[in-house]
Amino acid sequence: MQLSDRELWAVIHGLILGTGFLLAFAGGLVGLWSLRAKYLTAEGVRERLPRLGLWTGLMATIAWLTVFTGTWIVYPWYRDPAPTSARSILLADEHTAQWHEFGMEWKEHVAWLAPMLATAVAFVILYYGVQLIRHNEWRRPLLILFTLAFAAAGVAGLMGAFITKAAPVL
Amino acid sequence: MTDLNDMDVFPTTKPSGPAAAAIVAAGIGSLVLGLMVSLAEFSAGAKSFLDFAKNYGLGSGVGPLSGKVIVAVLAYLVSWAILYFMWRGKEISVSKAFLATIVLVGLGFALTFPPIFTLLAP
Repeated sequence: MQLSDRELWAVIHGLILGTGFLLAFAGGLVGLWSLRAKYLTAEGVRERLPRLGLWTGLMATIAWLTVFTGTWIVYPWYRDPAPTSARSILLADEHTAQWHEFGMEWKEHVAWLAPMLATAVAFVILYYGVQLIRHNEWRRPLLILFTLAFAAAGVAGLMGAFITKAAPVL
Repeated sequence: MTDLNDMDVFPTTKPSGPAAAAIVAAGIGSLVLGLMVSLAEFSAGAKSFLDFAKNYGLGSGVGPLSGKVIVAVLAYLVSWAILYFMWRGKEISVSKAFLATIVLVGLGFALTFPPIFTLLAP
């Protein structure tokens, strides 16, 4: 039972970082959703805000690591001009060509929106710290941008899973 | 237990400018990414220029994606720095900054969607 270097990097990129991203998103979303002054005490705010900064900062960090490993490590193997590469295999069959022409073309670009959006959200939370509880005008924008970051990564992750199913990077 | 209705608890001392700069810059980075994707589809010369992996040795085999994302991330970071210094001591309307961000991100999303950017192919 062993993994090749390529399989290992594909697992790191898609599975390990992807799982961390999902966990960090869930933690950040719950924290942002319940961030209302009427629900919290001052002690609760002091306890929650650092954790919210941690979750969102973690999600941003993981998003950057995911796009860098995906673009500079896994993607060159995918698009290798050799006839045995995943891209060549997909394009060789008209029934699978759309996985590249639509799926991969979308995935490789849209994924890069996630780290920029997640970093912006994490920055706002870390910038205000506990004072964020006094800035309710930020709660909805942060929730929406955080969810858009997740949606961009979700599209990329979903397409990546389907493409890997059709033609794994080996 | 301290009551949060007491406004002396966690008084607001920070202007919204730096936070607004962060989200608007993310929108600018998103739009620039979309523009690079569309530009590479529209122009073979641009596509060749954006192959930073080949032209500048920034990665091996990444192709034009290297240039598209490097340009977008640079636009994000530079615009963030500029907006940060412009707005650092100022109150910026959160709703207007958010609206601008949503429009920019929406355009970025649209221009990275293959059925849209392939329309630009000659």
